[in-house]
Amino acid sequence: MKERFRALDPRLLWVVLALIGLGTLTLFSAGRNTPQSGIWLKQSLWNLMGLGIMAALAGADPRRFFRKGFPAYLVGLLALLAVLVVGRRIGGSTRWFVVLGQTFQPSELMKWVTLLYVSQRLGSRPPDQVTRLDLLGAVGLVVFPMLLIQRQPDLGMALSFLPILLLIPLMKGVRARWIAALVVFVLLGGAAAWNFALKPYQKQRVMIFLDPSSDLQGKGYQVNQSRIAIGSGGLIGKGFTSGSQTQLNFLPVKTTDFAFSVWAEERGFFGVLIALALFGLLLDRILAAARVALSATEAYFCAGAAGIFALHLLVNVGMVAGALPNKGMVLPFFSAGGSSTLSFFLALGIIMGIQHRARLK
Amino acid sequence: MDPRQRPVLHRRIGAMRVMAWGLVALLVLVYAWLQLVRHGEYRQIALNQAVKVRPLAAPRGLVLDRNGHRLVDNRRALHLVIQREDLPTRPEVVAALAEALDLDPQALARKVQSYRQAGKGRPLVLQENLDESGIALAERVRARFPFLGVEVAPRRVYLGDELAGHAMGYVGEVDEELMKARPGAFHLGEIIGKEGFEAAGNDRLKGIDGQKRILVDQLGTEVANFGQIDAAPGRSLYLTLDAGLQKVAQEAMGEEAGAVVVLDLRDGGVLALYSSPSYDPNLFLNRLSQDMVDRYLANSRTKPMLNRATQGVYAPGSTFKLLVGLAALEKGVVTPQTQVYCAGRKNFYGRDFRCDKPTGHGSLSMVQAIAQSCDVYFYELASRMDVDDIHATAEKYGLTERTGIDLPQEKRTRIPSRAWKKKAVPRDPKWYAGETISVGIGQGAVGVTPIGLARFYALLATRGKLITPHLFLGLRDDETSQLIPAPVPPVRDTPLDPAIWAVLDEGLYEVVRGGTAAASALKEITMVGKTGTAQVATFVDRAHYARQAKALKDHALFAGYAPREKPQIAFAVVVENAGFGASSAAPIAKKLVQYWFLDRPVRPLPPPRGKLVDPFAPPPEAPE
Repeated sequence: MKERFRALDPRLLWVVLALIGLGTLTLFSAGRNTPQSGIWLKQSLWNLMGLGIMAALAGADPRRFFRKGFPAYLVGLLALLAVLVVGRRIGGSTRWFVVLGQTFQPSELMKWVTLLYVSQRLGSRPPDQVTRLDLLGAVGLVVFPMLLIQRQPDLGMALSFLPILLLIPLMKGVRARWIAALVVFVLLGGAAAWNFALKPYQKQRVMIFLDPSSDLQGKGYQVNQSRIAIGSGGLIGKGFTSGSQTQLNFLPVKTTDFAFSVWAEERGFFGVLIALALFGLLLDRILAAARVALSATEAYFCAGAAGIFALHLLVNVGMVAGALPNKGMVLPFFSAGGSSTLSFFLALGIIMGIQHRARLK
Repeated sequence: MDPRQRPVLHRRIGAMRVMAWGLVALLVLVYAWLQLVRHGEYRQIALNQAVKVRPLAAPRGLVLDRNGHRLVDNRRALHLVIQREDLPTRPEVVAALAEALDLDPQALARKVQSYRQAGKGRPLVLQENLDESGIALAERVRARFPFLGVEVAPRRVYLGDELAGHAMGYVGEVDEELMKARPGAFHLGEIIGKEGFEAAGNDRLKGIDGQKRILVDQLGTEVANFGQIDAAPGRSLYLTLDAGLQKVAQEAMGEEAGAVVVLDLRDGGVLALYSSPSYDPNLFLNRLSQDMVDRYLANSRTKPMLNRATQGVYAPGSTFKLLVGLAALEKGVVTPQTQVYCAGRKNFYGRDFRCDKPTGHGSLSMVQAIAQSCDVYFYELASRMDVDDIHATAEKYGLTERTGIDLPQEKRTRIPSRAWKKKAVPRDPKWYAGETISVGIGQGAVGVTPIGLARFYALLATRGKLITPHLFLGLRDDETSQLIPAPVPPVRDTPLDPAIWAVLDEGLYEVVRGGTAAASALKEITMVGKTGTAQVATFVDRAHYARQAKALKDHALFAGYAPREKPQIAFAVVVENAGFGASSAAPIAKKLVQYWFLDRPVRPLPPPRGKLVDPFAPPPEAPE
């Protein structure tokens, strides 16, 4: 047991604990005087459970998980298929299983399982032995669950799989013509998606992002109110549980998608600096783990995990500020939610395990 | 790991670390932009949407009759409103809202537009006086249109229903035309008197709106009150009306169309003013239903919105003979003793003018001619004068002017003269002597309002005091509820020659003692007055007349005063299409006099028994 706790990277652990602290305060304030007033307590239970999982995984040999990558990936795919059939429909999308009264979102976990399996596949051979076909296979492994998730539909979640593709340039390096090809692909793919794949509500989101004031009463209302909350927070904020936007319910979905706006309104720019610095340290520590990792597989996993965390950070914190389209991506440690919290801790546990194994060596 | 791979991988991970901190720096810049550079702007927006200034509607003053009975009261009512800062901007939202509430989309769009342009004022009221189903509907609609609100506001309740519909009038939102006509006088959405005394006394009755600064949440619910300026309620006031007498007038008129006016001779106060058919002002507080528009407004033949007492212009018929007699005596074309022979008809300027009694009255003096209502006698008087002589006398005794009653849009009486005809009938501007003969018996172009007629008989009763009829008795002291009497509007002295007056008074006395209105005499009180029958259409003979539809029958009039010895009230009664004045109008006058002098309780009556309107009850149905 003692051994297990020694496995926890203290620097990463302090960052995580600090972020949990900020997130809990935010949820306490956001839930105040609403039917969700107990949400901070519920989220604390998830966090405790997550910390337990993290500690357990940190003490285990990470290679055990990578060996189970393929069966885990298969089970994940089955779960994604199953959720489309027997999942609970909430707010127009079918994303959740209901187990013992709790909703569970398999796609949250699938993200990390996919990263695990792709890391294992790409890291098992030296880079020069990995063929183009292998790379194409890896892309397919990432894209297939994305397509299943987009069937739910859940564009934000599907996009959060994209950082896994970072592993390819990480392994093979970047060439200018790849970047050019990527730009062309994004443009063509974007046009194709706009015409064939995007649902009307998704198109609307893009339109509102391009002109937020076009729909102040409807979809643009949320982002607009969030910007007002952030902007009116100013340098030092309005004070804990004193944000008018938060407490008077102008700010929508403030316990999940817009939790960071609550923090920004009540704690101001100083609070934002602290939170962003902590997130920076989090990414830094995860990448430090990638650097010391003993195997390429482990390094890939850590780097991919850093990419996923970074994307969540960018999209959520950027979205609530109106700098990015409203994609519905949660912010780790701030947004309330069981599946996502447990999944993030699970990834952190594996990362700590990778680091611990390297340190023992 | 392949030892060759490690340094490459380390380099790339190093690059990722730089990118990670770059990402953090980028986000810091975004937040610095929002929170530092644009902080002031967003702070103001956050403040504006959470801190609201809401107007507090001032209740209008109460209106009481002269005995303190409430004619109108205030109740709390719930309105579905849009606060002006929440007005929707997008046309589709307005259209959807109109559809959800079953309103006219274009009218609503116009209203929203004008409210957005107006600086300050009351919220836009979408539906007034919500009942239970209305509140339920409002809650449902609010789910789709969160900017809707429900506001508590005072609301008028007219306790007598139709008792004094025209005298009281009703209130409503100020309309666009009035706002254009008197810029700056009103603010948008202000509730003002639209008709009757509500309109005439609007400045006294209306209060001053207050306001409060409140903190609201996203649903517009008040969370905290930062302070308020209370609304100053309007002044309550007493009217000269007597609810009991008004009730007698209402019951006496029954289903007949017409008007009753009773004046207090001491000061010109209006004791009763009833126009039939009346309307219930309560009905006009809600949005008008199609049924009501049909019934009251859309060219209804019975014209229930017309205040017949002040806006109905009737040929006075024989009630006008007193003015003709007065003019003749003053001009000296006859003396009280002059006898005129009535053979049932007489020829003037080659045309036969008939008397009401075909067999003729024989020889009559003026007193007898008034008592018997002999037409030939007054034809003769008219033939000895010019129409301008009659007009001059009417002008001298105030009959050509408006009475000045404090009700809106009073009509003038019409006493023809040569100058008048030139202006009114440009096709045929010449005055014919034969026309003067018709004027002699109150026909032809002569037209008077019941209030004007009552005022003329008040002049006769007071031997020459020209009073100003009025409804406003005085303000109510809000602490003691006592009347603070208002100054009596000016009384003009136009003294009548006592000898001439005695003849007219005697004639009016004879009408009721043994003349045309003998059936309406009272034992205890000597009521005097003159009957009148105003032709609506011309007929060949009586048999022809009897066959005619009611709408073409003559108007019946009766005007007079009581008691003869020391007159206290003067009155005028008009019953449309009722036939001869003595059989329809005089009995109504008798009931009024009977009530006022004999049946009126010494102690004030209990308040008029109107049904009390519950703000949660469904809107009142239009009366049968």
